[in-house]
Amino acid sequence: MATFKRSRFWALFLAGCLLFPAVAPAEDFSLNPQDRDLLKKIQKDTFYYFTRMSDKETGLTRDSSRPGSPASIAATGFSLAALAIGASNKWVPEEWAYEALRKTLKNLLTKAQHEHGFFYHFLDPRSSRRVWASEASSIDTALLVAGALVAAQYYPGTDIERMAHELYNRVDWQWMQNGNDLVCMGWKPESGFLPYYWDTYNEHLIIQALAIGSPTHAIGRNAWNAWQRLEDDYNGHHVVYGNSGSLFMYQFPQAFIDFRNLDDAGVNYFTNSREAALANRDYSLAVRHLHKGYSEFSWGLSASLGPGGYKAYGAKPGEGLEDGTIAPYAALSSIVFTPKESVATARFFFDQYANDLYSHFGFKDSFNLDKHWWAGEYIGIDQGVTLLMLENFLNDGIIWKKFMDLEAVKKWIEVCKLRAKGTTPSS
Amino acid sequence: MAANQRKNFFINKPLQIRFMLYLTLPVMIITTVIMVGLYIGIWGNMLDAFSNERVRNDLLTASRLTEYENARLPEGQQESSTLRFFKQAEKLSARQREVFKDILDDTNKKIIPKFMLLLVFMAWGTVFISHKIAGPFFRFSATLEEVTKGNMRVRIHLRKKDEGRSIAARFNKTLAFLDDTFSQIKSIIRENDSNRDQMAAKLKEELSKIKTSGDV
Repeated sequence: MATFKRSRFWALFLAGCLLFPAVAPAEDFSLNPQDRDLLKKIQKDTFYYFTRMSDKETGLTRDSSRPGSPASIAATGFSLAALAIGASNKWVPEEWAYEALRKTLKNLLTKAQHEHGFFYHFLDPRSSRRVWASEASSIDTALLVAGALVAAQYYPGTDIERMAHELYNRVDWQWMQNGNDLVCMGWKPESGFLPYYWDTYNEHLIIQALAIGSPTHAIGRNAWNAWQRLEDDYNGHHVVYGNSGSLFMYQFPQAFIDFRNLDDAGVNYFTNSREAALANRDYSLAVRHLHKGYSEFSWGLSASLGPGGYKAYGAKPGEGLEDGTIAPYAALSSIVFTPKESVATARFFFDQYANDLYSHFGFKDSFNLDKHWWAGEYIGIDQGVTLLMLENFLNDGIIWKKFMDLEAVKKWIEVCKLRAKGTTPSS
Repeated sequence: MAANQRKNFFINKPLQIRFMLYLTLPVMIITTVIMVGLYIGIWGNMLDAFSNERVRNDLLTASRLTEYENARLPEGQQESSTLRFFKQAEKLSARQREVFKDILDDTNKKIIPKFMLLLVFMAWGTVFISHKIAGPFFRFSATLEEVTKGNMRVRIHLRKKDEGRSIAARFNKTLAFLDDTFSQIKSIIRENDSNRDQMAAKLKEELSKIKTSGDV
């Protein structure tokens, strides 16, 4: 009898783990079934942005849901990962997702305009040609490649894997250094390399990982050491911060890279992102008397649309630009760092503002209660990071596992000696 | 020199008019297709590209992309609103150049296959038309070859829609005359073999009907 009870206990425990898996976030957190259902709904709705906003032939995904928007190469990268996630969750048929991935990767390899493997930031969704005189962009190409490699991990031994690696191997990361240790932000045929380099902490960690780990055009370890680690405190939160203090900088690379077991000379960037998210929330709370929208359940300062256009909203440490505008994706995409705060915020946004803020593809980009302003559109990359972070959170860090399993990522960790003491590649 | 100048360009009016139509009609069709294609292609796309909605969308996109670029710059390096305005204008003008190029490329892409198809039709038409002349030429040549060999029984037979049927009829009439004359001469020789004087008189009479360079 005692044995039966013990086995039933373990069966229930296992079932609980399967139903509500913990992603090993920074704190103990249990997700109740109602919130889990809500997050699943948000994730699924967010996913459909990528099926609806991608061209049927080329697979290129529009930068935003606004009519006339060009295709964004970074949004396309998120779309590649999204298609694999969508198929694995059975939101779309497996064969359809595979064919869409194959078409998109083939188009990227054979038709889409690029320079030394770096894609132009904006392309015409139908012709795949450069538009708006945009730059061949290092960060947007890195996000595209990261998305392609995630898709490759979902389809090992197939054309998807082969084409994704071909796309990655083609990127000449050394060329984008332009003779420096740092990686340049971009290049234009008319004027050459942009005068800006990835020189402080921000979303470029994904470039670093892919460029240092590249099997064909790897850059040296100097690149990892060359960028500045600016550190500061805000309200008791110590953060290696990016200039704008926008939350997306702490999120985009970590939608792919699992930093939990990595250590950069004493800095753990997972913990750093948690601290940044909490500082971001505290920063809003500190000025809530000035803005109607800010509260303990309503926060999230990140680059987003606002009443006066697209701005790099953010908190301190950093510039701390805010005007009462909140981007729901900011709190949602921090869910792996701050599950309790992020889930409560998602619930609050949905319960309070669904009529104005929630539509076919999940939460719209932003809102500002002071000005009674609600964004009418979705931004592709914000949708992408939301989807991937929710997948990591709800599905036991599956994107992290798949990405960290790449040889290139292992090489980057090895070259930069990032493995935390006492951990193994599999821990 | 002046004596060789043509005074009347219409020697065979129906034939010449027919050939004029054969040449001008296809050229006119090709030109019309190209002109209409260009007109519809360019102006149709232009009207679409510069519709109120598209222009509004392009203005918003120019503004948005400038904001994206500005959002990436550190605080000290962010651009003033005036500079951003000029950047938007620059982006918009670059976009318009792209739109024009796309329209022309698109039009060319549509026109070139149609033009190639018309060229194929033209080539086929040329073979068809030239066959109406080349066929009779061949038959005339072959018939004359037979006549040279002494065969007066041959005649030229042309197809219903071949050119030169009237000349062939005249030629056949000439051949029939020659055939009759030589037949008559042969008949005189055959019938008067025993009476040489009578044969000579009849041959003389028969040959007197024919004018030759050897007549004195």
